[in-house]
Amino acid sequence: MTIHETGVCIIGGGISAAMLAEKLSELKPGVAITIVDAGRTIFDFENRGRYRQRSLDYGENAWPGDFIEDQAGAGIISRTMAVGGSALHWGGVTNRFSEEDLTLRSRYGLAVDWPLAWSDLERHYCEAERRLGVSGEPSPHAEDKRSEPYPMAPMPLSYNLAVLKAWADRSGIPFHGTPQAKNTRPYGGRAACLRCNTCEICPTGARYSPDFTFKTLLTAGKITLHEQTLVRRLVASSDRKRIVSAAAVSRQSGEAVEYRAGTFVLAAGYAWSPHLLLLSGVANSSGLVGRYMNGHAFVGTQIELDATLFPGMNEQHSLISRQYFRCATDVPFMRHDLRVWESSAGRDPRLKDGEGRLLTGDALMKDWRDRTVRGAARVRAYYDVHPAAASALTLDASKKNRWGDPLPAIRHVLDDASTSRAAATRAHIVNIFKRLAKANNGRVLNVSDGSYLDHPAGGCRMGNDPAASVCDSHGRTHDHENLFVSGAATLPTGGCTNATLTFVALTLRGAAAIAATA
Amino acid sequence: MAISRRRALKSLGAAAAAPLFDARHFSLQAGGLDPVVLAAIAGVVLPAEADRPVAVAAFMRWIADYREGADTDHGYGNTRVRNTGPSPARDYPAQLMALDAAARAVGAADFAAAGVEPRRAIVEAAIVAANIERLPARPNGAHIAADLMGHYFNSPAASDLCYRAAIGRDACRGLTGSENKPAPQPAGIAPR
Repeated sequence: MTIHETGVCIIGGGISAAMLAEKLSELKPGVAITIVDAGRTIFDFENRGRYRQRSLDYGENAWPGDFIEDQAGAGIISRTMAVGGSALHWGGVTNRFSEEDLTLRSRYGLAVDWPLAWSDLERHYCEAERRLGVSGEPSPHAEDKRSEPYPMAPMPLSYNLAVLKAWADRSGIPFHGTPQAKNTRPYGGRAACLRCNTCEICPTGARYSPDFTFKTLLTAGKITLHEQTLVRRLVASSDRKRIVSAAAVSRQSGEAVEYRAGTFVLAAGYAWSPHLLLLSGVANSSGLVGRYMNGHAFVGTQIELDATLFPGMNEQHSLISRQYFRCATDVPFMRHDLRVWESSAGRDPRLKDGEGRLLTGDALMKDWRDRTVRGAARVRAYYDVHPAAASALTLDASKKNRWGDPLPAIRHVLDDASTSRAAATRAHIVNIFKRLAKANNGRVLNVSDGSYLDHPAGGCRMGNDPAASVCDSHGRTHDHENLFVSGAATLPTGGCTNATLTFVALTLRGAAAIAATA
Repeated sequence: MAISRRRALKSLGAAAAAPLFDARHFSLQAGGLDPVVLAAIAGVVLPAEADRPVAVAAFMRWIADYREGADTDHGYGNTRVRNTGPSPARDYPAQLMALDAAARAVGAADFAAAGVEPRRAIVEAAIVAANIERLPARPNGAHIAADLMGHYFNSPAASDLCYRAAIGRDACRGLTGSENKPAPQPAGIAPR
């Protein structure tokens, strides 16, 4: 067995781990930081153009080798398991939550309040935006006031989005460009966006991904990175106040590996962080590890409108409205975002016309061209739902990895209040879709409901009460003074917009407390 | 020479029973499809304003570079790997034989030698016989003609041709000028 001794052992190598390692190396220069990840490194930036082309042409995986065959759980669990995590292929959307997310209980009597103040989180949002490199424009809503400007100028609205903004604004709902972790100028050692239309595999590096941070830290000798090493257990001291080691296995050689550290940080996301705590039987005096798994529900539509659009100009960029992030306290609760993208729905080439006649050659092209006279928009709303305690990640004894460890199963369950207001929320959103359509002689083509909760989080929720939460607002577990959880797993509720920036802001906020123990 | 789809279907049915394998048109090992035959198909399934030779060459390149069993793309939430299937080209020899047989049934030496209208009728009958309802997003082997169509019509070049605008979907185009309407483009550009 190989034994590694380190100052801080970070388990998991996604975006939270990258940001935490970077900040820790600044707060505590010289402290030994070791990052352990079950997946492999895919740091071959020079091959990204080729991977992208194979993905476009053949639908091949743009991140080859990012999956561990026997480490896949049931439920909504992202497949990606490589160093960099889901943020290898994320879209780079960096919306902020709003103050309401932190005060659901005190304002509305719903779910729980978060154990930190908005002003505190807002400061770390700014830091997260600086570190990731976010381009954006200010929200038109005064409640979204920022203490710092965005680090970069916003991505220009494409011709299509400008047309769609004029269309959407006519409905009386204000929209603006969605903030993104994409460079509009060279930033952080990465290139500016070239509008390649494939943000899931950005060939220029303009869209942030954690491999850049890891490579920089490795080159500077500030971290040690152990890939393809699966941590199987955390071992507590005899008095259970501290974690003394992490028992791991090399996925390449099968050799047992042990990590001894002054501080352990779980930064393995909403699935694998609570999973490891459950496997280890630690940090769970509350019985809430793996509970309150959350995310946001969604409804989408395609709307046909009176406008000539040119699908493909910048399909990854979008508009957002934060109009409905707020909800008065004297009306039924309902919060959601609104996003608008260019779309080719109903305007793609087709083999048969509306009467079922076969089309080939010139006839097919004519049919296609005739249908592009009017344009289309994709519109989606993420809406706020809250988890029940029964919304759980559990160990599935029927499915084990090659080492015999049970794998996770996630089952999302909404609390009673969320369930009871779901129909009214949906009706409100569908009415907004109709309002948008009506603003420009448009037509709602379809409405589709999400079948899962997006941007999943939770499982180690933070709170001030050790009986009602797993960790405090800095991620320190209530049960073990040197064990922290960072990122997605700590969220008590999942908000109503993309959550990655919030994961990172919370991680950066916790870094000082982690550094103090290291 | 006029030929009805019904007659073409009958011809295809007869061809399906033919035991002979005509290796002129296809050799998987050699990675080769006969560009003459493909051009004959392209001549009736791709629009006249398209650059058909370029479209055929791009299709042949796609077939030659296909990898069986490769990991496929995935998004959030997928917990199982899916792989690409067998090369769609495996199904082409029999389809090409049937096209030739159908052409011979209407008096042509082979499919490529038939006139435009007989070729169109034969190809359309073949697509109907294969029960293909939609353009394939990528070639899938259901029929070589539908695969060629799907490959072309889903390309950025076809999109530019349809909109008569230089959109350049999937090209790395830079941010400058993206706020402007795409430049008019009367003719198609080569697909990837």
